[in-house]
Amino acid sequence: MNNPSNVFGGLSRRQWLRRMSVGVLGASACPWLPALAAAAQPKPGKHCVLLWMPGGPAQTDTFDMKPNHANGGEFKEAATSVPGLRFSEHLPQLAQQAEHLALIRSLSTKEGDHGRGSYLMRTGRQPGGPVRFPTLGSIVSKELGDSEARLPNYISINPGPAVNAAAFGPGYLGPRYAPATVGGGAGQNAVPAADGFAELGVDNLTLPKNVSAEQHQKRLEMWRSLQSRFLASRSSGNSRAQNTMFRRAVRMMHDDAVAAFDLSQEPDAVREAYGRGTFGQGCLMARRLIERGAPFVEVSLGTGLGWDTHLNNFPAVKSLSAQLDAGWATLMRELADRGLLESTTILWMGEFGRTPTINGNAGRDHFPAAWTCVLAGGGIAGGQAFGRTSDDGSAVEDGKVDEGSVLATFCRAAGIDPAVEIISSIGRPFPIMEGEPIADLLA
Amino acid sequence: METSCCCRSARRALLGIYTLQRIGNRWRCLLFTLCLFFSVFSGNIEAEDIAKTSEIESPNTDVQDTDARSALRAEMIARIDDVLAEHWRQAKTPPSPPADDSEFLRRAYLDLTGAIPKVSRVRAFLADKHPRKRQALLDALLRSPAYATHMATLWRNIMLPAGMENGNIQGVLGVQNWLRRQFAANLRYDRLVSDLLVATGGDDAGPSLFYTALELKPEELAANTARIFLGLQIQCAQCHDHPFDHWKQHDFWGYAAFFAQLEQTQSSPGNTRLVDLESGEVTIPETDTVVAPQFPDGQSPLEDEGGPRRTQLSLWMASRENHYLPPAAVNRAWKQLFGWGLVEPVDDLGKHNPGSHPELLEELSVYFVRSGFDYQELLRTLANTKAYQLSSRYDGERPPPELFATMMIKSLSAEQLYDSVARATLTPRNIAAGMGNSPAFSPQRQAFVTQMQLRNWNPAEFQAGMPQVLMLLNGQTVNAASLPETSGLLKALEAPWLSEPQRVETLFLAAYARFPTDEERQRFVGYIAESDNAKSRRRARGDVFWALLTSAEFVLNH
Repeated sequence: MNNPSNVFGGLSRRQWLRRMSVGVLGASACPWLPALAAAAQPKPGKHCVLLWMPGGPAQTDTFDMKPNHANGGEFKEAATSVPGLRFSEHLPQLAQQAEHLALIRSLSTKEGDHGRGSYLMRTGRQPGGPVRFPTLGSIVSKELGDSEARLPNYISINPGPAVNAAAFGPGYLGPRYAPATVGGGAGQNAVPAADGFAELGVDNLTLPKNVSAEQHQKRLEMWRSLQSRFLASRSSGNSRAQNTMFRRAVRMMHDDAVAAFDLSQEPDAVREAYGRGTFGQGCLMARRLIERGAPFVEVSLGTGLGWDTHLNNFPAVKSLSAQLDAGWATLMRELADRGLLESTTILWMGEFGRTPTINGNAGRDHFPAAWTCVLAGGGIAGGQAFGRTSDDGSAVEDGKVDEGSVLATFCRAAGIDPAVEIISSIGRPFPIMEGEPIADLLA
Repeated sequence: METSCCCRSARRALLGIYTLQRIGNRWRCLLFTLCLFFSVFSGNIEAEDIAKTSEIESPNTDVQDTDARSALRAEMIARIDDVLAEHWRQAKTPPSPPADDSEFLRRAYLDLTGAIPKVSRVRAFLADKHPRKRQALLDALLRSPAYATHMATLWRNIMLPAGMENGNIQGVLGVQNWLRRQFAANLRYDRLVSDLLVATGGDDAGPSLFYTALELKPEELAANTARIFLGLQIQCAQCHDHPFDHWKQHDFWGYAAFFAQLEQTQSSPGNTRLVDLESGEVTIPETDTVVAPQFPDGQSPLEDEGGPRRTQLSLWMASRENHYLPPAAVNRAWKQLFGWGLVEPVDDLGKHNPGSHPELLEELSVYFVRSGFDYQELLRTLANTKAYQLSSRYDGERPPPELFATMMIKSLSAEQLYDSVARATLTPRNIAAGMGNSPAFSPQRQAFVTQMQLRNWNPAEFQAGMPQVLMLLNGQTVNAASLPETSGLLKALEAPWLSEPQRVETLFLAAYARFPTDEERQRFVGYIAESDNAKSRRRARGDVFWALLTSAEFVLNH
């Protein structure tokens, strides 16, 4: 815990010695040797938002339209604020902010199963290996976050179904880097009843209903006396860590941190602009959290695998697009108004794309070979589409990239060097992300 | 024992009398309270903890528990303590004082059975004047069903990737139950490993989920079996020669070749079998070089060694030529008790990483082999050392963990934590029962364990993050434990003949396995006395219990 070996840049003595000996004896034989051994310093003022699209959105009905081909389907293509760049007609507000968006239309991956695809896209690693790689938010928030911060460094709003728990977990980094989850989960409606807004809240952040604030204070008083007695004779790494984590959690319960999650403090007009569902309200919460310094916020769209439109693709995508458009566009606009968009890097993606061909059920199936994800905001050169698919959408024709490039680009845009290596739980170092950032997309 | 018999008959008599009568609601309440009361205050009634030892036939016949065996054990115990003491002298580090009975009792229960002791056990043990009571306790714990369950949970978590339970509960249960049977019978450890390697059945029939979870990939199976059972990190050599050790890429794929001839068949949904084929080879990635099977010691299977490749490997695993297995097992057993291996990380052994006490690791490995790979005997030996029975208190700066001069303050696994809260709260077993009537897979416990997300739990690290801590503070498990309406213990404490100091004392015994200090007794009795009516006093007791359950002394194993 409190590693006394800061002189070695945050590595333990043994890890340091191990690296030293390797460095002396045979660096050239070891291609995975650390490119950089420096421990990461928190990068102040950088934020990230992952807009996670469970199920896999259809690129041909959102950001890579094929209006002149039978595969194109029934949606029309519409102009945006950037000449020559065109999106689906159902993303009108985003179209007005196209100058902030960088589309990657040439993403090609190799996993077409929800669980495996989620792991691949969220960790940047092949699924199934013995090493549990951390999900994007865990590793990025570790790099950007301050361990003393009052807000959790990684907050996941309305997390979708864990089709593959490993894809959503902190992996070898351990649970300290797991997301604090807000709302969502099974059984919650994405769109609230009648005229209300979707309810969102941090799990277990507030006292159980049967415990009053006054009672809690008395409990804490007793708790503190027990803690000091124990720590007086047993102050070890584990006991100090327990004490620190519990005190931080208590602080968070009492602090204005709770207010960050309280959407009722926002005017109804603002809440309305984001959209009433969990995604819209989640984007609003993301803005409140980023304003208060949270380094990584993830917002998922829909309940279950909403974008998994094997049946009746078009009405479903139309409705999902409306939620996406209101939430995402309002988030960018409000961040820009506050001068925060330039320090907030946004990534929109699902686990894969969908077949350009339309199946017999008017749906589209899983398709990882040629699909689209979108980067936006801080560090990103917006207003462009990178790469190109064929006229029928079935193949990448130009600028083919894989998951590693996308995630490395995202890290770089957020001010993180993806090549920096982290020591995993098995003592082997791994770079934050494997893959080369796409230079054209970086501001 | 006499007191327990007495209490048991008293309980039986009470039940008899009252059920014969027409019982009104008031009586029913009192009866319930009485039952709970006796379960807290009577002596040893933990049938689930302490098995009738005659039921367990140890097939471990190499060495019987004879005088010779006891002498060997005593010799090894003395040797461990001597070697450690010599290191303390060299490091000029005085050890902690011996652990007191409470400290020892709680620790032994957590390390060997996975949960803290019941109040009744604590009272009985603390009152026991027998000079060899610690030794007797360790023997009883090691023979208890709870030991086998705890060992199965520990090894299941080592063997299976985290999160497997979701959607594969039958397979996970298969692994858990299979392991449990091996540990309950104290099967020779070398046999356990080689049996595991030739597993064919899935679901409830066996541990084949270990294979299917790794998708039958030779490279994954090679990496995991070598790491878990041999303490070898050869996976680094999968793509390149090992940077820190002597492993070459060829060695890795030679070992992986033993897993190249495997197939999964499904005769009916949910009933998968593993089948050994006669063909299938591995090649070094991006080349056409086929690599023939080769054991980690560099030898190849003999020409006349027939049978499936997995069988060849499993025979080698249990053979005397396998020099890797004993130290790897010894190191894991050591870490289970001390929280820190003789070599760290616990699964990275070899010349490049000799650890803190190489001579001790060597001698313990020889001892383990001579005992007939008796894992239970190994744990018994380690737990009987003075070193294991040191206090975790330390005046001044704590010495580095590899000196073992003070007991490490260990974090609890999610299962240990949940089961300890349940034990302290007197959660009835029938409520805890879930999947297949197995309390180990009750939905509440499963939800708790999933939310704790302690992947690759390491007792040397406190891994809980903000979501986990918030769950402990405000979540359902601890809240239910500290509510008078739902907590069995708090209900039991409502018995009218108890004084408030006795109640506080019981709360401490339940959570900490120790009596409160005078100062603590005064403080907490005082807090409860601030309430002016029975209802708020009940709630105040819950507040005390909450503070105990969320404190470091409860949440850690010390």
